[in-house]
Amino acid sequence: MGRRIAEQFKQKAAAVCPIIVYPEPEDARILEAAGRVAAEGIARPLLVGRRQDLPQKLAPGVGAELICDSERLAQFTDQYARRRHLSDAVAARLVRKPLIYGAMMVALGHADGMVAGKNHPSALVFQAAVVAIGYREGIRALSTCFIMVVPRLGGRRDVPLVFADCALNVEPDAEELAAIALASAESARRFLGVVPRVAMLSFSTHGSAGHEKAVLVRRAAELANDRIRDGFVEGELQLDAALVPEVAHVKLKQQSEVAGRANVLIFPDLNAGNIGYKAVQYLGGAQAIGPILQGLAKPVCDLSRGASVEDIVAITAVTALQV
Amino acid sequence: MDKEKILARVCKVVGDVLGVDVTDVTAGARFVEDLGAESIQSVELVAAFEEEFDIEMDEDAALQVRTVATAVDFIADTIGKQSSE
Repeated sequence: MGRRIAEQFKQKAAAVCPIIVYPEPEDARILEAAGRVAAEGIARPLLVGRRQDLPQKLAPGVGAELICDSERLAQFTDQYARRRHLSDAVAARLVRKPLIYGAMMVALGHADGMVAGKNHPSALVFQAAVVAIGYREGIRALSTCFIMVVPRLGGRRDVPLVFADCALNVEPDAEELAAIALASAESARRFLGVVPRVAMLSFSTHGSAGHEKAVLVRRAAELANDRIRDGFVEGELQLDAALVPEVAHVKLKQQSEVAGRANVLIFPDLNAGNIGYKAVQYLGGAQAIGPILQGLAKPVCDLSRGASVEDIVAITAVTALQV
Repeated sequence: MDKEKILARVCKVVGDVLGVDVTDVTAGARFVEDLGAESIQSVELVAAFEEEFDIEMDEDAALQVRTVATAVDFIADTIGKQSSE
């Protein structure tokens, strides 16, 4: 992460210092990261897990909760069974699973956010988050974004941009793409403190290619534009028209609040989004922060299995900023 | 336990969890496309199978189970492994 942005996130998180749950205490990097999170005052880390997974000795400031001894199990079982219309016996099994136990803590206000996914596939983290916590009002699907800190863009250095969806929705239709754009605009406001300027990306700029794939992106841009408050959406745009003022000027021939100065890039599908963020990360030397889950009623962040201690600390700050 | 018996119990559990008529739950039925399951419900189906058959299922592997018939195979395998432990 651009050091300055990382520090900003940590400082903002420290002002709130929420309780963040880690349901994978069996992982050495999680333990080290939790210790650093506590030492730097970014959040109050709480490890939850089974007896064999919790460490014997805790770093200063790190809490731990043993699921099988928890007094919360009865409450969690009752709430889960009611909310999901399942038997108490099945609910009792579910809330003993560390990911769901952690998500229930967040759902019922015993913790403020959860960081997981180091030792579980993303699909299980998403499931736990949705079944226990649910969607934010007005949202019916999850999406993900990355904050990409680009070393150089035009004359600027360490430029933060929001990329979406790079990790979850494979082939969104126009409605889903519009929802991803709106959720990402909110992420840009929240994390970067900017007025979102959302470019809906395609291989075509304003009808330059009349292909149905470009038409879908244009339709999504119209839907998002109708609904966005405090921000701008435009599409379809090619990436250069979105980011480079000179190209935007030539290709658009009109004034635009987005073209040439976009700070949120929405990719048309997961092929483009996943390849796009990795290209910028590995070929462009950008720092990738994420995937950040968007659309949940309360914050959960998913870690990649290869996440470093530094990544986990950064994602914890990102989680804390959503509280 | 033979697979016919497992199938009958799996159909009942699936009907309960997904809130569908048990007669709609056939061996060839796909959870999402045919039975209207949300993709987020696989963790709940797994827990319901664990409860019904008193087994522990590997959640990562269970994510790959997409039809009633493959669930029956997966459960039969798990019962076999856990009874021989």
